[in-house]
Amino acid sequence: MGSWGFIGLAYGVAAAALVGYLFSLRGRLRDAGAALSALEGEGGRKKS
Amino acid sequence: MGPTRVGRTLGALAGLCVAVGLYLGLVAAPPDATQGEVQRIMYLHVPSILTAYAAFTATFVASALYLWRRDARADAVAVSSAEVGVVFTGIALATGSIWGKSTWGVWWTWDARLTLTAILFTIYVGYLMLRAFAEEPQAAARYGAVLAILGFFDIPLNHLAVQWWRTLHQPSSLIRPGGPSIDPALLVPLLVNLAGLLLLCGYYVVERTRLEQMRQRAMALRLMRGRRG
Amino acid sequence: MAVAEVMRRTWAMTWKDVRVELRARERMNAMLFFAALILFIFNFALGPDLSKLREAAPGLLWLAFLFTGMLGLGRSFQAERENGCFEELLLTPGDRESLYFGKLAGNILFMVMAEALILPLFAILYNLEIWSALPGLFVVALLGTVGFSTIGTLLAAMTAHLRAREVMLPLLLFPLTVPVILGSVKATEALLSGAGLAGAGHWVKLLGGFDVVFLVVCPLAFEFVLEE
Repeated sequence: MGSWGFIGLAYGVAAAALVGYLFSLRGRLRDAGAALSALEGEGGRKKS
Repeated sequence: MGPTRVGRTLGALAGLCVAVGLYLGLVAAPPDATQGEVQRIMYLHVPSILTAYAAFTATFVASALYLWRRDARADAVAVSSAEVGVVFTGIALATGSIWGKSTWGVWWTWDARLTLTAILFTIYVGYLMLRAFAEEPQAAARYGAVLAILGFFDIPLNHLAVQWWRTLHQPSSLIRPGGPSIDPALLVPLLVNLAGLLLLCGYYVVERTRLEQMRQRAMALRLMRGRRG
Repeated sequence: MAVAEVMRRTWAMTWKDVRVELRARERMNAMLFFAALILFIFNFALGPDLSKLREAAPGLLWLAFLFTGMLGLGRSFQAERENGCFEELLLTPGDRESLYFGKLAGNILFMVMAEALILPLFAILYNLEIWSALPGLFVVALLGTVGFSTIGTLLAAMTAHLRAREVMLPLLLFPLTVPVILGSVKATEALLSGAGLAGAGHWVKLLGGFDVVFLVVCPLAFEFVLEE
């Protein structure tokens, strides 16, 4: 593997981890938001 | 409910800073005299480990605050900063290993830097598992806080121990950030990348804290409903 | 009088654990059997070449000590957990620190007793001359055992209730006790090669420093572990 191969690998792994984490976070936020709206919708007014 | 203004600002700043940092690190900065191009991995590896330490410091402060004040927000920050810290530690570990392979030809050496990063990773993965396995949220928060405090006092001792272990028996093969004397041409890309990752870490922690607080609220609501019904 | 009271409660806790152990001898038996097993397996693994074994001796010795100690730690709150005594512990009036120190003293005692039996076995099986290094070894073993047990006792209390507790205790304990592991092994290495305690100087200081830090931090933290 050439120099730039290693560099690409390193930056690629980091990018995958960071982007992957971001997507996971967004997904979990969406799910939590839905669950919370459902719970709050039962009780009172919905939050935007 | 979307991200707060703080969150969005952090995210935007982070994106900008990371982009500039990438350009500086991959294009603008000069290649190293001995290592050649692969030294550019340093612009990723060193900032990620430093960011991880920043995140874990936040975990310690938030944990201490939680034990003192029992404020759920503090606990939310604690678990969030630990989770994000683990992500950055993982990146530091992977990039450290790849850098090592490119310069020394092996994926792993028991040098001080890699060993300490691996230990740090294990400690905080343990933290997350401890919280996950605790029977109930208050116990999870308390146990986690205690572990985070233990970790805070332990990590400097780990550093001493591992560094003595490596430098007393072998000539140091540590790659220090930027070399023994930091060339100014390398310092600026390093600092910009560091700022970028710190901002990104901040953004992730803010968002993850928001998630945790939503979960806390949902749990509180369910408890209330349970009592009524 | 407060100090006398603390010491009395500490001693009461330790003595309770010792009495329980004397009756059933479960813990010590398990620890010693496990240690003997480790020593034999190392011998099979490293082959008949005694010089290889001697080189690895300090590490092997501490592997035996630490894994055996882990076994003991894992059981240190077992009685409380099984008999539902945790609640009783919480109800006893007074400070948590003496409860912690009582448990700690018991754990150190059992671990030291196991070590006292493992060491001669080790010396015999691997033809090691340890007689001259003995005083130094005693100091290092004590310092290492104390350090390992301070964090170990706290974590044992925390993991007693947990799912997957048999995995969680080592997972949490070993990364945190790296200074103890390194310090003890390296100091033992220096001692066995004839350098004396002076040659192991900085490692001994590291062990001592570690012990001091966690003898302060752990009892304070124990407060928060035993709540509710």
